[in-house]
Amino acid sequence: MSTPDLDPEVVATPEPGAVETPPKESATRSRPLPARVWAQTQGKVGVVLTAAVVLVALAGPLLAPWLTGYSPTEFADRPFQSTGVFGTDNLGRSVGARFLAGGLLLLAYSVLATALGLVVGCTIGMIGGYAGGRTDSVIMRLNDIVLAFPQLVLALLAIVVLGPHGWVLVTVIGLTHAPRIARVARAATLGVVSEDYIRAAEMYAVPRTRILAREVLPNITGPLSVEAGLRLTYSIGAIASLSFLGLGMQPPAADWGLMINENRIALSVQPWGVILPVLAIAVLTIGTNLLADAVARATESTTVEAS
Amino acid sequence: MGDPASSRTGPIGSDRAVRREHGLPVAVELSRRRLLGGSLALGSLGVLSACSAPTAFEVDADAPPVQGGTLRVGLSGGSSADSIDAHITVNSGDSARAINLYEPLVERDDEYKIAYRLAESMEPNDDGSVWTLYLRENLKFSDGSDLTADDVVFTFERVTDPEDPKTNASNLATFDRAVAVDDRTVEVHLTSPNAVLDDALAQYSMGVVPRDYDPENPVGAGPFKLKSFTAGVSTVLERNPHYWDTAPHLDQVELLNFNDTDALINALLSSQVDCVGQIPVALVEVLESDERMAVLNSATGMWLPFTMRVDVKPFDDVRVRRAFRLAVDREQMIDQVLSGHGRPGNDMFSPYDPSYPRDFPQRDQDVAEAKRLLSEAGYPDGLTVELVTAPIQSGVVEAAQVFAQQAKDVGITVEIRRVDTTTFFGDQYLQWDFAQSFWYTRNFLPQARNCATAEAPFNETAWTDQEFTDLLDTAQAELDETRRNDLIRKAQQRLYDDGGYIIWGFANQVDAYQRYVLGLRENSTGLPLSGYTFRRVWLGEVS
Repeated sequence: MSTPDLDPEVVATPEPGAVETPPKESATRSRPLPARVWAQTQGKVGVVLTAAVVLVALAGPLLAPWLTGYSPTEFADRPFQSTGVFGTDNLGRSVGARFLAGGLLLLAYSVLATALGLVVGCTIGMIGGYAGGRTDSVIMRLNDIVLAFPQLVLALLAIVVLGPHGWVLVTVIGLTHAPRIARVARAATLGVVSEDYIRAAEMYAVPRTRILAREVLPNITGPLSVEAGLRLTYSIGAIASLSFLGLGMQPPAADWGLMINENRIALSVQPWGVILPVLAIAVLTIGTNLLADAVARATESTTVEAS
Repeated sequence: MGDPASSRTGPIGSDRAVRREHGLPVAVELSRRRLLGGSLALGSLGVLSACSAPTAFEVDADAPPVQGGTLRVGLSGGSSADSIDAHITVNSGDSARAINLYEPLVERDDEYKIAYRLAESMEPNDDGSVWTLYLRENLKFSDGSDLTADDVVFTFERVTDPEDPKTNASNLATFDRAVAVDDRTVEVHLTSPNAVLDDALAQYSMGVVPRDYDPENPVGAGPFKLKSFTAGVSTVLERNPHYWDTAPHLDQVELLNFNDTDALINALLSSQVDCVGQIPVALVEVLESDERMAVLNSATGMWLPFTMRVDVKPFDDVRVRRAFRLAVDREQMIDQVLSGHGRPGNDMFSPYDPSYPRDFPQRDQDVAEAKRLLSEAGYPDGLTVELVTAPIQSGVVEAAQVFAQQAKDVGITVEIRRVDTTTFFGDQYLQWDFAQSFWYTRNFLPQARNCATAEAPFNETAWTDQEFTDLLDTAQAELDETRRNDLIRKAQQRLYDDGGYIIWGFANQVDAYQRYVLGLRENSTGLPLSGYTFRRVWLGEVS
């Protein structure tokens, strides 16, 4: 794939037939991030897959009764019958309706958990990276201790103690993301702290919080957005897994992870109850992963490799 | 039985361990291995449905029983704590071993009637305080030694040993002493009259053992004797040549333990076993559609009630309890939760008891009346309650969800709180305001003693009623069956009007077997595979 978007000549060349030449920007300035992501095949596929599932998840709850004729908790027939488009689930509810209604909470919780992880992780990582010295060592060793625990084990522990509430789920997944994000944020911060603009800001006695927020943060968004995409993928996986284990969304809520668990027993009789949510989760995680990859390539340097 | 039972035992003879064992897998235990096992089982189901019956065969079910062969039985729920003791039966596999290694004096037959086994007859004296048991002639243990009244006396003493009471001791709380009158006659003296002692003896954990009984090297009078036993893995039984009744058709029975339902079904489909105990009702159709398989679908007295604690708000108001009972659509419960494999209940347990009140008006969903009752009780806008559920038995979590949906119509918002089985039976057990439970087939008096009196060990609803308890006491001492049933009926009326149980139905016991396995019959006790009576089973000729 050629990379016209990053070629200064192409950027600068006016389109054929254009009457006016737009004011010339800096020849080395690259296009905005979304354009660079979209320019890659991976990026396109990622965007399309993610958007498709997000659309289903967002619009599904509203469309479910209208499209399938049943609400997500209404009984359509006996369990595991082929009534309706996708048949019935383990309680005789419409699989179609529950599938449409089952993605919203998963998506919302995943995004919230990732956001929480980003905020906490960034703060810790930037402070560590910027402060350096003993502060850095203490923060990062504490960080390493948390990192040593497998994420799902910590989540299971918290949920068993605090109960399977939405906020517990979001908090625990978010907080277990934080140390991983903190590592990335710290590494990126270390890369910019010695830059001249930081020194300049320090010379002007700009408060440290302001330096972190105004000078450091905008300059580490590249690696952070990659990390955010990856963490979103993990959040989706973790929350769906917890639901599957019965520790996430509680019945009778419609939820993809829960649906897989409820209906897997009858995979051979009525596979839709498992296949639909599995496909949705798979497509969503692949989509966000590709997207994160594309973001990584778009931000890591000015050269985008052909793919 | 005068005193209330001190542990939850009865026809199924087991306690909470069995409840767990029969339940769906605890959520936390869904490890990667389980997932893998599940996907393997599901994969094989897929193969099965893809090529529907490549190995179809014909079995002549009318031919006379074939002698010989080994029956391989798949069960789940065994562990390293498995037992071959005649009187300590905890999980389902223990029951299977006890039933086939040992023989009780009387047992519950397929229709839940008393059937005489080692005893030829038994009768109470005039006031029911002394029962005389008469043994059959020429009884022998599996080692060839004689089985006499002395051994029966020893069995009573072993079960009721105050130092180490066994499973059935709770049903024999009024046992005083047993005396061997002659070789074939035993007198059982009770501390208070009990007209239904035969029920307490008709337990599989009441098998007769010899005076020198050693659980390590078990000798019994059952249809089979032990060949080998590895706890949590397998048990091999072989025919007992000295069995008093018709000799079993099978040479051997192998009981194999599987860690979960998926592995169990997989073993059946791959012909690793000939029959399996308890399959999920949702799989009935797929197994029936396989030409090699047959499903044994037995109506039982097993119930999966909702339990409302009558001493806490809002359930302390009988109008609220009635409204909840009227919120349930029982037919829909049976359809959605049990795939239709069950019978509706009428807020009354013990459907096999001769006193079961079939003429009580059948309760069904009545939205208007339920709303009126709630509004009278001070909830004109409906109310919100938390329902604690756990996978203690298949269908329980499902029932909670269906109830939550049905209760919406009445204005009751049910918030489901799903906990794991360990938490459910933990410190809070019997304290949940609104929860669920499950019980196997029992007659009314022993059941009520277990769950509906002040002394009951498992009174989940905290419902106690002096009039009810007095009626139970009088009925238990009443030898005339008609008069006894009249008394029980009055007690049932109290429970029906005032109690804290929502008994929406009785679930079927569903097992699956290869069609060449013959002799399995529907059995009402709730025990899998025809009550584990392998003495009646044979392997048919396949053509």
